Amino acid sequence: MQHYPDITSSVLTGLGWYYLIMLGMNLLWTVRSYKVDGNFKNGVPVATVWAVVASLLMMLSAAHFSSAGSPDTFLIRLPMWFRNFVDANFSNPVIYFVLSIVLFAGMILLREWWTKPTVAWTGLNLSLLFMGLSLTDYDFRQIVGKPDNVPIVAMLFIVAFFTWIYFTRSVDNDRRIAEGRPLFEQENNEKVLVWPDLVYTELICMVVLTVVLVFWGIALKAPLEEPASSMKTPNPSKAPWYFLGLQEMLVYFDPWLAGVVLPSIILGGLMAVPYIDFNKAGNGYYTFKQRSFAVTTFLFGFLPLWVALIVLGTFLRGPNWNFFGIYELWDVHKVEAANNVNLSEWFWELPGLGGIPKGSDFGTILLRESPGIIVTLAYFFALPPLLGVSVLRKYFVRMGVLRFLVFSNLILWMAILPIKMLLRWGFNLKYIVGIPEYFFNI
Amino acid sequence: MTDSKPSSNDILAKIRAAKAAAAGDGSEKAQSEAPAPAGAAPASATPPASPAAPKSTADILAAARAKAGGGAAAGGAPAAPSGGAAPSSTADILAAARAKAAPAGGAGTSGGAGASAGAPKSPADIMAAIRGGGATAAKPAAAAAKAEGSPKAEAAKVPAGMSAADMIKAARSGVPATAAAAKPALPSKPLAAKAPAAAKPAAAKVVESRRGFFGSMVEVICSPVVIAWTAFSGATLFSALATARFMMPNVLVEPPTKFKIGPPNDYAPGTVSTKWQAQFNIWVVNAEVDGAPIIYALSTVCTHLGCTPNWLEGEQKFKCPCHGSGFYKDGVNFEGPAPRPLERVGLRLAEDGMLEVDKSVKFQKELGQWSNTSSYVPVA
Repeated sequence: MQHYPDITSSVLTGLGWYYLIMLGMNLLWTVRSYKVDGNFKNGVPVATVWAVVASLLMMLSAAHFSSAGSPDTFLIRLPMWFRNFVDANFSNPVIYFVLSIVLFAGMILLREWWTKPTVAWTGLNLSLLFMGLSLTDYDFRQIVGKPDNVPIVAMLFIVAFFTWIYFTRSVDNDRRIAEGRPLFEQENNEKVLVWPDLVYTELICMVVLTVVLVFWGIALKAPLEEPASSMKTPNPSKAPWYFLGLQEMLVYFDPWLAGVVLPSIILGGLMAVPYIDFNKAGNGYYTFKQRSFAVTTFLFGFLPLWVALIVLGTFLRGPNWNFFGIYELWDVHKVEAANNVNLSEWFWELPGLGGIPKGSDFGTILLRESPGIIVTLAYFFALPPLLGVSVLRKYFVRMGVLRFLVFSNLILWMAILPIKMLLRWGFNLKYIVGIPEYFFNI
Repeated sequence: MTDSKPSSNDILAKIRAAKAAAAGDGSEKAQSEAPAPAGAAPASATPPASPAAPKSTADILAAARAKAGGGAAAGGAPAAPSGGAAPSSTADILAAARAKAAPAGGAGTSGGAGASAGAPKSPADIMAAIRGGGATAAKPAAAAAKAEGSPKAEAAKVPAGMSAADMIKAARSGVPATAAAAKPALPSKPLAAKAPAAAKPAAAKVVESRRGFFGSMVEVICSPVVIAWTAFSGATLFSALATARFMMPNVLVEPPTKFKIGPPNDYAPGTVSTKWQAQFNIWVVNAEVDGAPIIYALSTVCTHLGCTPNWLEGEQKFKCPCHGSGFYKDGVNFEGPAPRPLERVGLRLAEDGMLEVDKSVKFQKELGQWSNTSSYVPVA
């Protein structure tokens, strides 16, 4: 059923330009490859391969431009089986989150491999090609091409780029340290004068940024909607893109927790980092090995728990905050069975316990929620000492009691987000402690 | 003081030292019995004062004389009683003043001990003395006056030109300060003379206090500080009251909390009516609850964060677009983050057979309020 056009002539023209830009990038890369790698590297004619890639892109671009008049018969489009496969197997928050964790682990473990220029450039090309092909799908285009969402697409590439910079420099420096050579920062001292070097650079950046913003403002129309009404909530109703991670957190937590406590802890925790961190290494130079714990913890909080949730909230959450595949139609009537239960409801239904205690007096409520309260208290009060004598013993010894308690509590607070998400997805758990009578839910 | 700014202690110590030195100079003058000719006195005074820098002593004396003018001869007298110990202490003091730093305090004390019993000790006293103001003469000044017994009134006019700022500037400017500091030193003479001046205002006050109770009150009330604070407090109080009044507007532009929504048979069994959603933020539901068919009105505010859920007829549920909370037809939450069921609002069958909604009351299931008969109307 083709209720909307996957490909139109304007899409073809746009994609023609898209591949033309890719061609330009790859031409430059071919020149660079020829200069750096020479004719052969490890027996592979690298520059030649890139030249072939560039010529293929040129043909692709030419095909798009020349077929702009007959979009219906255009053949280069994402195959239907691929879209159905992706929608059927990946339109699920559990798989999305697990994949993002796997990707994160791979990024850390395979850092020596993927930071190689050729590998990284291949990855960039593949992701651009994937996006270009996906743009031939109507639903994908509706979401990714929305003016609202352009900054997030840009952000994906920018975050990837800066992460790549960090890991490239770190891998290089770690190797230098292992071999006893001077650090990159010492060998290639890029120290410049504030005036004129830095100020000029800043001026250029300022001008370029202003130009980009002006063109952006002209080219992309503001996505204005009807006047706001307290009676009518847009569906889906989304926060500003930079808060979509927070909105995704709100799905799993009570408002006061996800909206007040967790953001405060994030801010307070970031402020506390300099006082917790006892590792003096890595000051003024890139390194991963000397700061592996700090870097991994921060990147885990930033990439899977913030950036990935922004992407999830932007591209994959549709009407009624349901989860949609990237090529899936945003159907308002999509039904997602989700019958959430509180821990207390599940616990007291266990055989032999005689059902959930009923009543709204304080004692009954405490009894009803006692399993959740015990679990929560154990999590925050029993786990830190346990961690201190076991897994994090090294840190406990270095930090002392007070600093370690702050540190371990921050780690535990960060961990409750994925824990709660997994409990919701895996066991339909709504709240560990649910006392709606007093607006207290954890 | 070329290397760093002097602390106030240093400055004050220096001032003290310089003052004492001036007293010593005065006594020297008295001893040499040659007040007017400037050339002779320095000649005799220089050797004991400071062999290291004879010039500055001469400068000091010249400056002192120039400043004192005709009063120099008279000014010599008050300092005379302490003159015996003066020459040696003057040398000490000047050396200390030149050395500038730590010894300054010591020089000050030795100067104070040697030069004049009446020398003021506290910085405030010194400043007051330097300014030579009329009524500000302090205790030490009075003590000095007593000790000497014969205050010279004419000397009081001499030091008026020297301000504290000048003093400090002079002290900061380093070596030249010794010369400059000598000028302010002169006030030590008028210091003694200030005693009667201090006494006079006191007497004047006694006269003023006879003005009477109301006169004094008027004087206090009309002082600028009182007027300013009164005006400020009044304005603040007034704006606070205005704010409080603002909270209770004369006219409220919002839907009435009590309104009629038609007869019960407008709402077919088993249906959810959304026709009042836009106007009054309620859904009217006719459904069986615990086996009994009833009509109830649900508030359209999601119990999670207050968005307005949509009624999905196909799935028979209320679904919130913001975070995906879902509620059954009876308002009970079953999916998403909403922590508690939707709230019912008051509903009753009015005397004219119409259903009347009262949005001013809420009924929450988790508090057991749904059994309240004001929260629903049984279907006959």
